[in-house]
Amino acid sequence: MKRALLALLLLISLPAHAEDLVSGISQDIIQITSSYTGTQIVVFGAIERAQTAQGRDVVVVVRGPDEPMTVRRRDRVVGVWVNRDAAHFEGLPTYYYLAATQPVSRIAPRDTLARYGIGLQQLQPSAIGSHHDPEPFRQAVIRHLQRLGLYAESPGSIDFYSETLFSTRVPVPAGVTRGQYNVEVYLFRDGQMVSAQSTPLFVDASGLERRLFNLAQNAPFSYGLACVLMAVLLGWISSVLFQRAT
Amino acid sequence: MEIYLPVAEMSVNWLIIIALGLAVGFLSGMFGVGGGFLMTPLLVFAGIPSTVAVATTLSHITASSMSGALAQWRKRAIDFTMSGVMFAGGIAGTLCGVWLVALMRRQGQMDLIVALTYVLMLGTIGTLMLRESLTALKAYRSGVTSSRRMVNRGWIQALPFKMRFRQSRLYISVIPPLVIGFAVGALSAIMGIGGGFIIVPAMIYILRMPTRVVMGTSLVQIIAITAITTVLQATSNFAVDIILAGLLVVGGVVGAQLGVRAGGKLRGEQLRLLLALVVLAVGAGLAWQLVVRPADVYSLSLEGP
Repeated sequence: MKRALLALLLLISLPAHAEDLVSGISQDIIQITSSYTGTQIVVFGAIERAQTAQGRDVVVVVRGPDEPMTVRRRDRVVGVWVNRDAAHFEGLPTYYYLAATQPVSRIAPRDTLARYGIGLQQLQPSAIGSHHDPEPFRQAVIRHLQRLGLYAESPGSIDFYSETLFSTRVPVPAGVTRGQYNVEVYLFRDGQMVSAQSTPLFVDASGLERRLFNLAQNAPFSYGLACVLMAVLLGWISSVLFQRAT
Repeated sequence: MEIYLPVAEMSVNWLIIIALGLAVGFLSGMFGVGGGFLMTPLLVFAGIPSTVAVATTLSHITASSMSGALAQWRKRAIDFTMSGVMFAGGIAGTLCGVWLVALMRRQGQMDLIVALTYVLMLGTIGTLMLRESLTALKAYRSGVTSSRRMVNRGWIQALPFKMRFRQSRLYISVIPPLVIGFAVGALSAIMGIGGGFIIVPAMIYILRMPTRVVMGTSLVQIIAITAITTVLQATSNFAVDIILAGLLVVGGVVGAQLGVRAGGKLRGEQLRLLLALVVLAVGAGLAWQLVVRPADVYSLSLEGP
């Protein structure tokens, strides 16, 4: 009875004493220019009303825009490797980066991680088309994007400057898709999520790159014609120059 | 040294791309082919997505062919009548090819069909050219100055709708050039090539055009086909990257000029022997990729079902 009362008391007093999280990012827009070869953003934060560091974990997840994906599997048919089987996925991100104080499997139980989509293995497509056994295909997506540096999980990469202040560097490689990204910071205490914060991050082309991309999308006929004209003109100019030279 | 490609959505070392354009341009100037059959696989190898590689290579071919064609034009070595007839067939072929590509994409067999077409075309043509040029070289070495063999044109002579092609000194039916133009147009849309390595042998061995006008005439034909296919690719697939095209073109036009000069120093038989070897090497490389076990049997593409 006494213990139950104590527990009740603790529960009531929890909100006032619960740890909380504030976080920010070093830039909220990444501009892709002609010299863009990938960049880094810094995600930083502080824990308010901090309790002991023991049993406390911080997870940072950066998630890029979703795109429909098609995975094909090749099989050997009469000595030649042929695409035989395919699976379609909706709702998988084109970019996923996770930083954490330790491997996520040690931070929280699997179902908690699954609920928040924390960890590469917890990335689940919202819709699956045309395959009875999609799991190897989903693994192939993760493998493929990991090779390109677009999917990564990096436990132990969060630096603490004091008991409460932390930051981590998030690599954004050259092959990222344009669109809205989300930076999520989670605070775990003994396997329970106690606080979470989400900040949008935009990746967009700027300057000449942006104009060219827009032209290619909105006026493809003129864009194609411009390509042909450029090629014809450069061919002609070089021919004239070389004739003069000899 | 890195530059960002807005349509391919990646950054590349522009020096490497220009060098690639230069090397392929040199070959195209030398042999009178566009070089697409080399450029497309090389770009894919450099990490450019294959749809962008196929579509963007076309601009490179247009430019290096333009520069080569002008050089031939000054030598009065172009049969515009023949180009015009082939181009008429080419437009129909291109449209047909674009439709075929859409069909194969839905089946998920685009890559295989492209690779098989490449291996088949390159293998056949390479072998034919190799055999012919070796025979010609042997005849030359043994001192037999074979005047142009009078070949039995047989069925080609029997076809109706004859037309006079003055530059080529031919009086033949328009059907063979129309059919060749159509086939090359279709292949150009499917394979991302200008089709020089098909047009040149076809002109020499099927139409029996004099070698003097073959280079220039095929280049004019290639310019027309690649220009149309570029616009079609830009409007239907949004896959032409103008920055990548610009880099390739700058390297390509310089290479093409150097190639034309180098080619002038070699005899026709030697040129054909060299081209045959290059064609066979690329074909063998592609065939190898088809049979060797891929590093990952799964491949990913960002597209819906």
